[in-house]
Amino acid sequence: MADNIKVVAEIRRQNPDADNIARYERYEVTGMPTMRVLDVIRSIYENQADDLGFQFACRIGRCGTCAVRVNGVPVLACQEIAKLHMRIEPLSPFPVLRDLVIDRSEIEQKYEDLQLAPRRHVEHGGKPESMDPKLAEELCHIDRCIGCMICVSACPAVDERSFDGPAFMLSLQHMNMHPHDTANRLVQAIDGGMMECFGCDICTQVCPTDLSPAQAIRDMRADLLFSRRKAKG
Amino acid sequence: MSKLTLPRNSTRQAETWLIGDISRVLHRISGVVIILFVLVHVVVQSVVQVPQWESTRQAMPWLHALQNQNWVHAVLYFSIAFHSLYGLRLLLGDLGFSFDYRRSLWVISGVSAVFAMRELVRYAGF
Repeated sequence: MADNIKVVAEIRRQNPDADNIARYERYEVTGMPTMRVLDVIRSIYENQADDLGFQFACRIGRCGTCAVRVNGVPVLACQEIAKLHMRIEPLSPFPVLRDLVIDRSEIEQKYEDLQLAPRRHVEHGGKPESMDPKLAEELCHIDRCIGCMICVSACPAVDERSFDGPAFMLSLQHMNMHPHDTANRLVQAIDGGMMECFGCDICTQVCPTDLSPAQAIRDMRADLLFSRRKAKG
Repeated sequence: MSKLTLPRNSTRQAETWLIGDISRVLHRISGVVIILFVLVHVVVQSVVQVPQWESTRQAMPWLHALQNQNWVHAVLYFSIAFHSLYGLRLLLGDLGFSFDYRRSLWVISGVSAVFAMRELVRYAGF
């Protein structure tokens, strides 16, 4: 078995109800070299700071609940291998509820406002509808987005401009590609700031589900440019 | 698989450089270099060409030499090549072409470096 390692973690602590300014508290954790960031956080919670606020659920990188920023890069804490020296912060630019827990109500509201179910001219017939298998594969692929907001946190355009973020654009492209959706998703994407995207592909690099929101944005821009909105029904 | 898929390492993400940050910052810096050079060039040419500014030219003899430095030309050529090629890559992306973000940065940087090296080699007398 490999020797244990000692990890130094500086965690951003803040209870907005009580603290005006966030502070960084330093903890040391000893464990296996393969331990994840979440293991470090849980060890700190169990042995050193039982008032530490953090959240997780699946522990296998499928729910996106444990997303945090490690040394400035947004990651899934349950997947990222612990570094010898880490600065762990909550995802920006979202409001912090406490320590590493962000308030997701604005995110959920945005998803709700986008109405991400196919809007049809004719009511669903109640039986399976035919779809091109290749298109179905692409739709299933895009639908793997777990809404962890890692791409939004990493996106420089969200920081600098009026841009909702790559995750929302990906969801809109999902509906834009859907053969039974009749809503004009390109207009929604423009309203959400699609044209502000730098095309830098940071969202592609950091996405934990191997999706490329940047490519989805490029595809929507091309659709817009060539008026490729198909007649749907 | 779909062109929306690109391979990545999900376990050591915080240790790697964000490629998009590098290309985005280089694109901006190269744009600033071009603008600065054009500004300097316009000022220098004005001082050199306008007879009324002869006294200024004599007072600042280094001004004309400034824009003829070989390293300045190398930086300028790199900037022009990088800014044009990366801009073209972004434009083609919006026209529906798909590029690997890592490979495109290295290829564009390499091609731009060739222009810079050519300029340095030229001044070295080869």
